[in-house]
Amino acid sequence: MNALTLTDEARLRARAVDAPRPRARPPTRWTGVSRLDGLLRAQRRAQGGALALAAAAGALAGIGGVGLLAISGWFIAAAGMAGLAGATLGFNYLLPSAAIRAAAVLRTVGRYGERLEGHAAALRALGRIRSVLFIGVASAPASQALQLSAGEGCARLIDDVDALQTQFVRRPARWGVAAALAASLAIASLAGWRCALVLAGLAALQIFGGRFAALSLALRWGEQIQSASGRLKDACAALLAAAPEIAAYGLQEWAAGKVSDDSRALIEARRGMRRAEGWLACASTAISGAGAAVVLLLAHGVPLPVAFLAALAALGALEACAAAAREAQDEPAYRAARERLEPWIGGSLLPPDTPKAATLSLAGGGSRACLEPGDRLAITGRSGCGKTSLLERLVKLRDATPGEAEIGGVDLTRLEAVQGRANFAYAPQSPTLLAGTVRENLRLADPAASDAQMWSALADAALDARIAADPAGLDAEIGEAGSRLSGGERKRLSLARAYLRSAPWLVLDEPTEGLDQATEALVVARLDHRLRNTGQGLLLVSHRPAPRMLCRWALALD
Amino acid sequence: MPSTTSIDLPPPALRGRAWLAAVGRSSSPRGRSAAASTVLDSLAAIGFAAGLALAIGRLPLGWQAAVPGALLAVASVCARGLLARTAIGAASRQAAEVKQAVRRRVFAAALAREGREPSSLGSALSVAVDAVEALDGWYVRYAPARTAAVASPLVVVVAMALASPVCALIVAATFVPFVIAMALAGGAAAHEARRQFESMARLSGRFADRLRALPAILAFDGAARAGEELQIVSEELAERTLKVLRIAFVSSAALEFFAALSVALVAVYCGFGLLGLLPFRPPERLDLVRAVFVLVLAPEAYLPMRRLAQAYHERETAEAVAEVVRPLADEPSAPGRAGSAEPPAVRFDGVSLAYSDSDASVLDGFDLDVRPGEFVALVGPSGSGKTTVLRLALGLIQPSGGRVTLDGRDAAPGGAAWVGQSPVVTPGSLAENIRLARTDVSDAEVARAAALAGLPADSLDRPVDERGGGLSGGERRRLALARAFLANASLVLLDEPTADLDAASEAEAIQAIAGLARGRTTLVATHNAALAAMADRIVRLAA
Repeated sequence: MNALTLTDEARLRARAVDAPRPRARPPTRWTGVSRLDGLLRAQRRAQGGALALAAAAGALAGIGGVGLLAISGWFIAAAGMAGLAGATLGFNYLLPSAAIRAAAVLRTVGRYGERLEGHAAALRALGRIRSVLFIGVASAPASQALQLSAGEGCARLIDDVDALQTQFVRRPARWGVAAALAASLAIASLAGWRCALVLAGLAALQIFGGRFAALSLALRWGEQIQSASGRLKDACAALLAAAPEIAAYGLQEWAAGKVSDDSRALIEARRGMRRAEGWLACASTAISGAGAAVVLLLAHGVPLPVAFLAALAALGALEACAAAAREAQDEPAYRAARERLEPWIGGSLLPPDTPKAATLSLAGGGSRACLEPGDRLAITGRSGCGKTSLLERLVKLRDATPGEAEIGGVDLTRLEAVQGRANFAYAPQSPTLLAGTVRENLRLADPAASDAQMWSALADAALDARIAADPAGLDAEIGEAGSRLSGGERKRLSLARAYLRSAPWLVLDEPTEGLDQATEALVVARLDHRLRNTGQGLLLVSHRPAPRMLCRWALALD
Repeated sequence: MPSTTSIDLPPPALRGRAWLAAVGRSSSPRGRSAAASTVLDSLAAIGFAAGLALAIGRLPLGWQAAVPGALLAVASVCARGLLARTAIGAASRQAAEVKQAVRRRVFAAALAREGREPSSLGSALSVAVDAVEALDGWYVRYAPARTAAVASPLVVVVAMALASPVCALIVAATFVPFVIAMALAGGAAAHEARRQFESMARLSGRFADRLRALPAILAFDGAARAGEELQIVSEELAERTLKVLRIAFVSSAALEFFAALSVALVAVYCGFGLLGLLPFRPPERLDLVRAVFVLVLAPEAYLPMRRLAQAYHERETAEAVAEVVRPLADEPSAPGRAGSAEPPAVRFDGVSLAYSDSDASVLDGFDLDVRPGEFVALVGPSGSGKTTVLRLALGLIQPSGGRVTLDGRDAAPGGAAWVGQSPVVTPGSLAENIRLARTDVSDAEVARAAALAGLPADSLDRPVDERGGGLSGGERRRLALARAFLANASLVLLDEPTADLDAASEAEAIQAIAGLARGRTTLVATHNAALAAMADRIVRLAA
């Protein structure tokens, strides 16, 4: 069990194991201790080295950035004064010019290191987080997991993970800002406590005021953008659903105009956000520049080089603070992402069950079929009467209906998903293939399958010649969702995959649809042969007569 | 308010960036004014440097003496803020115009496509709404930054030359290795940046694929292993991505380096110049004010390029999205057809149809002859192609084989009435909703059509909201029927006109349909036996 939780953080594992099962997942809001926080903390610890390095590099870059301009300013002013006084001979120019070069290098190298190490930490951590998320989704009740898998939720989940990554990358940069601020405060204090105080006040304004403004503009306009975008989608969906009517009455222009109105609301909301961003940028620029001027004026009593040093340090630090504050704009979206991810974190899977050949009893269309191991049953009925849904309920890809199916005398609803599924090897009507190689797809059914077993399964699905013709053989990439295969080839690969799984019942949904007659005959003959060898039973949905000939029993759903 | 139709979309041959730029160019001068603001921004930076330099120069005389310079600096920096605000304002206005025009076209194309192939609703929505919205960053951040990256360094260097030609030369000289480095590594840097974008996409692509394939993974009890593999592959991909990043980040490090180098060189030159310790005789007389001015200005030369680098993500996203939007936005719309007064003969001659994304054909050698004025009911299981036959008759879809003709001419939209399950509703009165089918009619005619469809006269003023609130399911169907009566088309196509109705509404709808079919060529797709029984002929389609 532990090997399967995939959460080696002990705390997480304990929580996952303790969780009652089956768990109903909160569909929307989740309150309490955040499991995502725990996972992120653990990953930050795991990537502590890289993150510390990134933070240190960021701090160096911050200090280098402030130092470069400030020391340069000090050097020029001091040189100017010395030149005027004719005291050039006693002037130590080696140290400042070296410091300037050092600051330039520090800034470059620091920034590079911060970005690289920050990304390294994020990329490594996100691998684990994706894996935990995937397990979380997979261990959710089938109805929820598959709804997510098929719908828009999937795209959003991926965006949400990317939002986590952005936050991970940005974290070390905060140390850069802190270091820049600390360095410039130290420098400003050389020009007197008043300078330091003013700088501290303005920096607080840049950071807290800027954060507040960025956050509230994101909240205000973000909400408007979201609701406008929702309204626009509803309007588009309603019009698209009526596409033939619109075409019949020549209403295309009218419909485009209607969409334009809703689109304008969205566009205006986005513009509002941009305008607010513009004002924020305006304010932070003004504060930085004015801060430098004020610090300069306040430093009139101290030597000119120190005054200039302080002014330039203030300028650099205030600009860095403003940039950091602006990032608060992404915070509402990040929080929303975390809230959506939270329910999917921390799930664990039961280990696969080892099935024993047992009787199967299946009810539908008012009758009931009781099958012994090895029996073959055709499930018939007009299209739309629920044959595919029945198969999906059997393999627990849909919530089971009480009284519909019993395995070994136990109602399917009372079995855990893994216990129910263990009895079936399923090749669905529309095959779902993994992006990857033929081998990866086949190994899904049997991780220990030998090449010989794979080729034999491919041969029984009449696909061996096609795969053998590819120079890469079993290692040929099939593309995303099998895009490099034809529809019929995808179907047969899905069939071969089902053959490789040693389950008491083979469940095939339209296995020969889209095949020509000769191939169909070959597939059916080999299936018959295979079933006799393995002793597997067969549940078949097909509107074609050839495969139905294999079945001795039939269950009519209508 | 941005106008809606002022933009002509460019020819489809342009790709990605060129397409976006061409769309932007045709959108009035706002893009230029955004770029102008970013260039003016450099002028304000010059003012700030000058103010600070003057203040420093006079600070030894007392803080009062430095106030004018400080005021100039503060005024410049405020102007700078306002210019930034103006630039964003102008650019977002341009973006608004572009998005509005592109969205209109994309929606029109999606509408045409949805009529042909009713399967892509989700992706059509995400293109029309989200993808179009993602173009924003290109116009607001990337495009102005690109103009500024060319123009601003020139302005800054010229201003520096006024104070110190040597410093201007130094900064300009650092551009030479920078440009060479970018030209040499530039192709490589762009390549690496793209590879970075791609490998990041691959990282989440793998995750997306396994989520998509979840039904199969669950059915084979493979979730635990898939999760483990996901982590292993993610880690492998992360290491490979990091190799790419190590190189990709070099280009931004080079930018940082040359920016820092130009500041350092200017500082060292000025410092030694002021000390009189330069190993050569400078061709200029440098004083503190000039030195401070060039030093404060030096970072500005590289600033626009750093901003441009920051807009990289916006650029990549928008250009990728443009490739999705472009083909839709450039899709031509189908020509219309004028209806005939006499009921037409409809003929399907060996019609075959296969949707592009699946292998199964919907129709295969379908033949049907409908006489003028005949009422034909199409029955058969769902998925047998009933709705497809109607869409072919309407001319929304072109068959992949065979011909569909009305009175011997190829079917094309227009001149037919359509009654579907979810008629269009728009905010306004019920009468206004009926009138959508035809505008050149009197109120009396609208009332007559409503009465024929079974809508009581006193309901015509009833308000209907955006979502059809205020209308029952039966009334919606009667609204669609009233439109068909009003349109008075000689060909009537009805798609499941009685689905989901209660017995009473169903009976009324069937009555109205019988009236509508009189004297018109009528095709109805239905599961309803009572409705089919009204027809002159029943055609059964097999699954």
